Amino acid sequence: MLALVLSSVPHLSDDFRAYQLGTYLLYGVAAQGVALAWGRAGFLPLGQALFFGLGAYSAGMVLIASQANATLLALLPLAVLLPAALAYAIARLVFARQYVSGPNFSLITLALAMLAAQLANQWSGLTGGFNGLANIPEIGGLDRYSTVYYLIVALVVASTALLGWLYRTPLGALWLAVAQNENRLQFFGFATDRLKALAFALAGALAASAGALYATQQGLVTPQAIGFELSTELVIWTAVGGRFGPYGALLGAVGIGLLSAELRDVWIHWQVAMALIFILVVLRFPAGMAGALQTYGRRLWPRSWMAGAESLSSQSAAAPNYLPAPPRNRAADTSTLEPIRLEFNRVNVRIQGVSILSGLQLHLRGAGIHCIIGPNGAGKTSSFNALTGRLPLSDGDIHFSGRRVSGLRADTIARMGIARKFQIPSVFSALSVRDNLCIALWGNRANALQLLQASTWRWRSTLWEFLIASFPFLETESDRHAGELSQGQRQMLELAMTLLMEPRLLLLDEPCAGLSVAETGQQTDVIKRAVTLIGCTALVIEHDMAAVARLSDQVHVLHQGRLLASGSLADIQGNPDVQAVYSGGQK
Amino acid sequence: MDASAVTLALNLIYHIAVLALVGLGLGIVFGLLGVMNMAHGEFIALGAYAMLAVQNHGLAPGYGVALAVLGTAALGYPVERWLVRPLRSRPLDTLLATWGLSLLLRKSIEAVFGRQYQNVSNNLSGTSTLLGAEYPDYRLLLIVVIFVGFALLALWYRRSPAGARLQASVANRPLAQAIGIDVDRQACVAFVCGVASAGLAGALLAPLVRVEPLMGMDYLLDSFFVLVVGGLGSLSGLAAGSGIIGGTQVVVSTISDQTGGYVAVLLLSIGFLWLRPNGLLARR
Repeated sequence: MLALVLSSVPHLSDDFRAYQLGTYLLYGVAAQGVALAWGRAGFLPLGQALFFGLGAYSAGMVLIASQANATLLALLPLAVLLPAALAYAIARLVFARQYVSGPNFSLITLALAMLAAQLANQWSGLTGGFNGLANIPEIGGLDRYSTVYYLIVALVVASTALLGWLYRTPLGALWLAVAQNENRLQFFGFATDRLKALAFALAGALAASAGALYATQQGLVTPQAIGFELSTELVIWTAVGGRFGPYGALLGAVGIGLLSAELRDVWIHWQVAMALIFILVVLRFPAGMAGALQTYGRRLWPRSWMAGAESLSSQSAAAPNYLPAPPRNRAADTSTLEPIRLEFNRVNVRIQGVSILSGLQLHLRGAGIHCIIGPNGAGKTSSFNALTGRLPLSDGDIHFSGRRVSGLRADTIARMGIARKFQIPSVFSALSVRDNLCIALWGNRANALQLLQASTWRWRSTLWEFLIASFPFLETESDRHAGELSQGQRQMLELAMTLLMEPRLLLLDEPCAGLSVAETGQQTDVIKRAVTLIGCTALVIEHDMAAVARLSDQVHVLHQGRLLASGSLADIQGNPDVQAVYSGGQK
Repeated sequence: MDASAVTLALNLIYHIAVLALVGLGLGIVFGLLGVMNMAHGEFIALGAYAMLAVQNHGLAPGYGVALAVLGTAALGYPVERWLVRPLRSRPLDTLLATWGLSLLLRKSIEAVFGRQYQNVSNNLSGTSTLLGAEYPDYRLLLIVVIFVGFALLALWYRRSPAGARLQASVANRPLAQAIGIDVDRQACVAFVCGVASAGLAGALLAPLVRVEPLMGMDYLLDSFFVLVVGGLGSLSGLAAGSGIIGGTQVVVSTISDQTGGYVAVLLLSIGFLWLRPNGLLARR
């Protein structure tokens, strides 16, 4: 439909209008890339013109050179591939050790765009300097005032279709999950810095291909195409048009962009007004024009053509022919056949002079449930943090089944088969319950190709069936957002998600906190049966002695960052040291 | 010591001092509010334009400094109250909202003063001879003012009760609130002081730089680089960051050219974000 509407413009209007529209459609494709990074994956690129300009300059140079030697046209794909590779490299470098999408990335991209504009001005031998790279010929004998427009329409349709498809794949869901709760996603074994870098590379490729066509359409590339002003406008168009779907950015670039081009010279305060509108959109209308259209559109046509960001897996609900999930990926742990073995060797953690763990010594062997108890500040959660790569050790080391764990990244550790449930339930609040479960199921299972296949949405496992039978709300409330669930239900959902990974070592941090007595009983039953089903080792932090008694007879007491005692619950309760620490015994 | 070495050393000191002055406001706002104020550079530009406006009306420069500080402070209050505070729990949105504000200020400046480069005249345009090197008086004065100002600021921050309350909020905001510190009011005061210090920086630098609507962007990036390298939340981090960024800029620019200095600083910052995301003197 988009193709039809856009191709009819030159017939309904005139070639000049179509030419003008073509330029803004190209900006729209670049803005779609901004929307992918920002609306989907949750990090804001402020210098996107860098890739637009790189694509434009390099395509321009190739086209000029190809006049003398036509075989050089084969280099044209590099005008897209090189900027995309650069985008990937920048994102990997900046995101490598930061798991929050803060302002750092935005400012670095802004600085790079400003630097690029400076270089484009300075290296006039290569770029034509301030006056620009002129006399760029058209691609393949097309005419820039008529036929190039159809090439642009083809690019717009292709990028819109590509994004529309990607947003429905499991990868699209993972990008949303990165934006919502990147920390949690790493504990399912996903390297989120790569996911973000991939999104940014694609955004860079979209901007660069738009830039390449821009070069042939305009015949001239000046430093304006690479600098900071265009970068800013791309962000404004994306925000005002709508950043969550593929259409909003296009709408913003064409609607606002064309309007601005008309009004800028007529009304001097237009740009001031535009800045005010932008601030208003940020404060009040995060979904932009596309969001507003969708809201009103839904009143007119219940099934809107502008599919937004919600309810990803609903199409899988309509197709009940489930597929068995493949077994957990055991490529990462070289020691599958070895018995499960966890060792904390004299682990010390000090932060700013405060000792969090001091010489923690703990050895666990074989399957089964172990409970960790201890007063507040004993180092229970800190020992989990140290084990899962969130707390650097000052001294000592941690081994899991013969492999050294300390010093590795959280997602690497998760891929070794270590799953963790957090003390405060951590889920993807703006995704549906079913999407949450699916993402957990894919962790450690899905490969890159499977993350692009729609059929992956239909994966189910035996454990999934067991969990749904145990917690029926996971099925009956499966279309609700996880954030709308009660605290208790979120505890159960996160437990279910952690179990779905079928880990070798299961770390549960107060899985029964905030649950009623009946719910606690249900929760502990599920833990016990699931641990037997998976055949894993579980380490459970718990304060509720009744729950401890139901779960396990192997109890470890931590106190002041050290192991105080180990043994059966009766041993522990009889231990004078433990009694001294607790001066009681019950919760 | 020959004269060119002295000039280089003075350039280095001058650059570092200016970076610390420029980065101070951004550091205050980020340290206390956790907000990256993307309009920081525009507040500096507003300070410079205040000097320009005063000069155009034929008034003494002292009025310009006062106008710069009071004007930016007066603007900072409503911005904190109605733009930054409602978005505090959404960090990416505060980034965007202040980015929008920077755009608004830039375009407003353009609409009022025009896009062209303008100059603020320098009443202290003479030079002095220092260890055999000729150096502009205004720069020397600026260096002295900045060093004295920072010394007083550090003393106040370390010794005064208000400074202690600020340190408490920077270290642990919820706890500070729990012991009865009005952190909302503190955040508001910090934002106003942050942007007013930017206004002051703009006013003091105005006679030495080209005054134009886009000038803020370079200052924003410079301040950001200083914070990335130095680490957030302490004056010593600001000093360390200014030292490293300023040193790199001056040394590399002297060896190659301005762009070389810019590239070096950019690479240095990416390196820090990659390997030491919390900066040199990080506070966890």
